[in-house]
Amino acid sequence: MTKEEVLRSFLADPLFIEQCILKPGEADKIRWSDDKNNDFIKVIKIAIEGEVSKESKTVTARKINQLLG
Amino acid sequence: MILQSIELNNFMCYYGENKFVFTEGINVIIGDNGYGKSKLYDAFYWVMYDRCFDTSKKEFRQTSHLKRLIVSDKACKEVVDGSVTTYVKLTFHDQIKDSVYIIERSYKIHKNGDEIREDKDSLQTIYKKDLAYLNAREVDDPFQIDQIKNLILPENIKPYMWFQGEQVESIIDFNKQDTLTQAINVLSNISRFDDIKELATSLNDNAAAELNRKVRSLSKDKGKSEQLELDRQTLIERTKGLQVQELQLKDSLAKAEENSELLINKLEEAQKIRQLEEKRKNIEKQLLEVIAELDQEHTSLHKKMFTNKWVLKGCEHLFEDYSKKYSDYDFNKLKKKAELQARIDAENAVLAELQTRLPIDVPEPIYVERMLEDEHCLVCDREAKKGSEAWNKINELLTRQTAKLQTLSPEDISTHNFSGDFKKLYQNGLGLQYSIGNVDKDIADTFKRQRRINNKRKNLHTELVAIESQIQNLISESGIGINEAKDLLSSYTIQNDYAKSYQRQVSDLENKIRNNHEKLKTIDEQLNSLVTGEIPRSLLSKVEVLKDFEHVATATRNRVFSQLVKMLEVEANHHYNDMTQSNLSARGIIKLKELSNGNFMPELVDSDGNVLLQLNTGNIILIKLATIMAIISARQGSRATDLYTLITDAPMSVFGEDYTIGFCKTVSKVYRQSIIMSKEFYRNENLRNELLNNPEITVGRVYMITPSIPETERSNRESLTTNIKALN
Repeated sequence: MTKEEVLRSFLADPLFIEQCILKPGEADKIRWSDDKNNDFIKVIKIAIEGEVSKESKTVTARKINQLLG
Repeated sequence: MILQSIELNNFMCYYGENKFVFTEGINVIIGDNGYGKSKLYDAFYWVMYDRCFDTSKKEFRQTSHLKRLIVSDKACKEVVDGSVTTYVKLTFHDQIKDSVYIIERSYKIHKNGDEIREDKDSLQTIYKKDLAYLNAREVDDPFQIDQIKNLILPENIKPYMWFQGEQVESIIDFNKQDTLTQAINVLSNISRFDDIKELATSLNDNAAAELNRKVRSLSKDKGKSEQLELDRQTLIERTKGLQVQELQLKDSLAKAEENSELLINKLEEAQKIRQLEEKRKNIEKQLLEVIAELDQEHTSLHKKMFTNKWVLKGCEHLFEDYSKKYSDYDFNKLKKKAELQARIDAENAVLAELQTRLPIDVPEPIYVERMLEDEHCLVCDREAKKGSEAWNKINELLTRQTAKLQTLSPEDISTHNFSGDFKKLYQNGLGLQYSIGNVDKDIADTFKRQRRINNKRKNLHTELVAIESQIQNLISESGIGINEAKDLLSSYTIQNDYAKSYQRQVSDLENKIRNNHEKLKTIDEQLNSLVTGEIPRSLLSKVEVLKDFEHVATATRNRVFSQLVKMLEVEANHHYNDMTQSNLSARGIIKLKELSNGNFMPELVDSDGNVLLQLNTGNIILIKLATIMAIISARQGSRATDLYTLITDAPMSVFGEDYTIGFCKTVSKVYRQSIIMSKEFYRNENLRNELLNNPEITVGRVYMITPSIPETERSNRESLTTNIKALN
């Protein structure tokens, strides 16, 4: 499973449409390199990146906190 | 990672130097029971884990326990004074990096005549070639050693990749509800989602705590805020406790529901078993009675020889002969009596006539005697010469005085008179003649009755055997014993009551947890109402994002897991169908059933969705293997599938030859490389040819192993070697 596929799995959640972050059907086509100016998606991408690269959870958490700080 | 070869030197039955080379595809080592297959599996395991499988104890034991048992007896015997070294070497090739890893384990014993000194432990050495063509260097960094071993086969994957036939059952243990979940966790990508979920929860908790601190720091009534915080913490702790209880109860509920469902499925069978058992007992009783009746009939048969005079059968002519003889005898007796009577009557008549002519003693006897002497009759004065008629007449006058009238007595007829006995015998014969006349009918009736009883016995016996067979089939199909069948209803009621009770407790707990969340919400609102300043927007936004993150991470993990289960179901059925192609009797559909506690359990259902209960061991193993293969094939193309080699000893031994080729085809599709020890191909040459020539099987190297001395002829192993022959 590539990180793009993992990202799509997360973005398939109906919450993204409910909160108008994504349009219906958009999640299936999204690419890893697509620059979505949304903190929620950015958080997910940092988490996936950290998991795939076997980064320590502390480091990933720090990156996310920095983003949201 | 491909396992290129294994070299064995003086390892158990592999005396001297032995080598197997392997390629991608399915590599098969063929040998009958006792030919050294399991020892080869032991060799793989020993190199990696310093342990061998002890079949008598059904567990892996370390070299420190096994010691000289690892060393070839022949090698040991040949050395009189010196050391014997055993080693096994595995060579792995990482095709992506073109690096080579050599793992070697050795063990020594030392002999001095009959005295043997064993090393305490074995020694493992690992070599690495950064590129295949470079020289190997020894790796001595423990961290690097662990890395290499983990690269070859991670500990958590080992049970699914290296196993013996008899271990397959425990890989997915149907008695442990989380066993499939564990397998999915280990062999799938779900752990990534679990990790992200864990991270999201931790971030959310921290952000919530941060917000909480901020809220309290901005409180206009710090004392009340602190009290509210204390209440909040207490409530959180209680809720956590309740959640733990809820999990435990859901586990118990799932078990009770599973047991209850199993039992309800068995109830019908149990009812049938009970009815059949009643019928069986009844027939058994009847059969015993009939057997007793038959025994009695056999005994009375012997008695009837005498009581019913069967011994006289065929003697009818004796009586007829006797009757004839007796009739002749009686006639003759009467005739003789009549003749005698006639003679006596005649003599009496003469006497009577004489008496009427001359009275007795007239003339007087002295004158008669004188006339006889003188030969002259004085009455008529005529000569009467001696012997003449006249002389005899005179003489009669003398004897006439002693003659009397005679009567007939029985002694006159016969000297020994048996006529009474003969008559009695005849009369007895008359009675017997009637009985003898009935003997044939009596015998026929008796044997007819015996046949009837015997037929009844046979029918009852046949019925009993049929019922017992039905009971046995039901028992083997349902797995319910007779005693269990009797108690099943009460067991079901108990399990059902448990399930209902757990369900009630879970509902109560859910209500309590819901109430606690409501209370927490109220506390949060109260805390927020005490805030005087403004909470930074960035913090609120962060809390909001991370709350959503946790929600999405949890939902995504669950959704992916469900998708994975569905995909596994499809894959498992695909493999199961492939493996059971040659035997339709094992058909069914594998269903991964979700339990109340969120775990999954494989079961086999028919086309109507009815659960096929208590399958035979072969089917269960096939389902388990299909499920494991599904987990592996579902992630085909990922590193784990390609990296690890399946090594298994006798995996097919429990499910029969019909499935062997199907199993090999499936294995060669699912695993990039597999090494399988099998006896099936040894016994069946057709199977062997199909293995070597079937285009659907990606076959690697195939070897035949044979011992120098068959197991049955071994009194010891001191001259035992193993011959290895490459078949392709």
